[in-house]
Amino acid sequence: MRSLTVALPSGRLLEDAVRLLRAAGYRGPDGRDRSLVWQWGELTVIVAKPVDLLTYVERGAADCGVVGKDVLLEQAHEVYELVDLGFGRCRGVVALPAERRHLWEDPRRHLRVATKYPRVAERFFWERGRPVEIVELYGSVELAPRVGLSDGILDLVMTGATLRANGLVEVAEVFQSTARLVVNPVSLRARGEAVRELVSRLTRVVEGVP
Amino acid sequence: MPAGLRDWTPEELAALRAVEGCLRRTFEAWGYREVATPALEYLETWTRGMGSRPAAALFVVVDRTGELLALRPEMTVPVARFVATRWPDTVARLYYVGSVFRGELGRGNSREFPQAGVERVGDGGADADAEVVALAVDALRQAAVPGVRVGLGHAGFLRALLDASGLEEDRQVAQEALYRRDFVTLSSLLDGAPAPVRGALLDLPSLRGPGALQRARGLGVGKEALDELEAVLEAVQGYAVADAVEVDLGIIRDFDYYTGMVLEAYAPGSGAPLLGGGRYDQLLERFGARRPAVGFAVHLERVLATSQRGGVLAPVLEVGYERPARAQALAWVLRARAAGLRVAATPAEEGYLQPGLSFRADGVWWVERDGSRRPLAPQDLDALLEGRTP
Repeated sequence: MRSLTVALPSGRLLEDAVRLLRAAGYRGPDGRDRSLVWQWGELTVIVAKPVDLLTYVERGAADCGVVGKDVLLEQAHEVYELVDLGFGRCRGVVALPAERRHLWEDPRRHLRVATKYPRVAERFFWERGRPVEIVELYGSVELAPRVGLSDGILDLVMTGATLRANGLVEVAEVFQSTARLVVNPVSLRARGEAVRELVSRLTRVVEGVP
Repeated sequence: MPAGLRDWTPEELAALRAVEGCLRRTFEAWGYREVATPALEYLETWTRGMGSRPAAALFVVVDRTGELLALRPEMTVPVARFVATRWPDTVARLYYVGSVFRGELGRGNSREFPQAGVERVGDGGADADAEVVALAVDALRQAAVPGVRVGLGHAGFLRALLDASGLEEDRQVAQEALYRRDFVTLSSLLDGAPAPVRGALLDLPSLRGPGALQRARGLGVGKEALDELEAVLEAVQGYAVADAVEVDLGIIRDFDYYTGMVLEAYAPGSGAPLLGGGRYDQLLERFGARRPAVGFAVHLERVLATSQRGGVLAPVLEVGYERPARAQALAWVLRARAAGLRVAATPAEEGYLQPGLSFRADGVWWVERDGSRRPLAPQDLDALLEGRTP
């Protein structure tokens, strides 16, 4: 039987995800390996871009994956979200330039909002009945209000330093996010034992059970 | 080409048709009749049939009079509309083959994909459910899908668990989390729920296989649903498919739609279910006919990816002819087609020899791929008509 394939996201969650696997007793190669496929004992570990991660898992190229809740909220998907892994904590917020924060006080005011999360933004504004124009960007969202591309942004914040550095202040929290373990629906059934083992080992670490 | 849409080459289509053909023959053998409904229906038909579910996924168009129409995102609603409004008998066994459409592009998903499926209308019992389950297994096996597994769950059992959770204003939120398979949110909502119910809900992904029914019974919740499921399992025993069928109470399908047993089929090599369906006893009522119904829809591209059948293009006999031999060539070609051969006839320049059969002023030649040729006598041409190589 082929080993269980776990997809980890490159970028900010990778280091913590690797640490979690080690804490759960999986042994993988040390050092800064640039390879995208690792053999970790009974696990095959692949590294994918966070935006692509659900594609790997949903199509069964990976049985399981580690992905931020922010991505799960943004992308429609058919995977099982089984464990809150606790790390990668951040929030999605709406932020405006400090000198224009009053714009938020008027709920009928039409706002242009730049974001990497167009679906989340659409849902958030629609649920509150606030008119909005969404400007979809792929990076450096905080730049948009500075150059007049948008009135504000909807983006992730961890410490708030990026917001401050760009003269932005938070006006609303949209979601809270942590890394999650997701599982392909077929793997959950066809490889139930192996998936259960992984889930229980990770859960023990997350819950601090020795 | 717009994203999410695709062409089918003759080779790809031959493979698809081969799989489709297996399913058609199986459905026919079980006494099901084919029905076709239009690709477009009033938007109102979809919202009536599907409830709140698909709004964003519909491919909506406006017709000349300003009427809103939508391309079909699935086939069950139109078949239900058809049966409720046009079908004279109370009982129907129908199947369909056709494309369905989605307005929104998921990650790398198609906006048009081929489906086939069955709807068995008019019987509410376990025997009708069992027939549909057994037909699902048989159809996939006939399509040469190895290692078919069909899981049986129950929408009523999930509802009963949610009812027993003690949630009030958050019940809808919990149901939506369950529908999204978001067990993290579900877990946080269930903090105050009775421990066994909370445990069962969070354990749904592994509540399957032998013993699952017994474990579920231990909760004392959803007895009616579990009784129904047990009756279906018992009725399935009569078909030679029981080894492919298992209880899987973790199957989560649309709550607005399914009222009883739900099923999904899996096979190694496909990361997503090959087919899905279940019992939907309240759908036809929305179109004015109160009748129970059960069915499933097959995702043909997924079956194609796992099927070992493979379709090959039937060979075509190439016939070339020089102008002076045209009448003779075409007369033979007509006979050959009438005899059931696939023949393409093409005019050729004088002296040109293409692989296949060549009618020339200087006689009839059989030409090999490497260009070598030999003359054919009339009896050789007759042999060709009988399907033998001269």
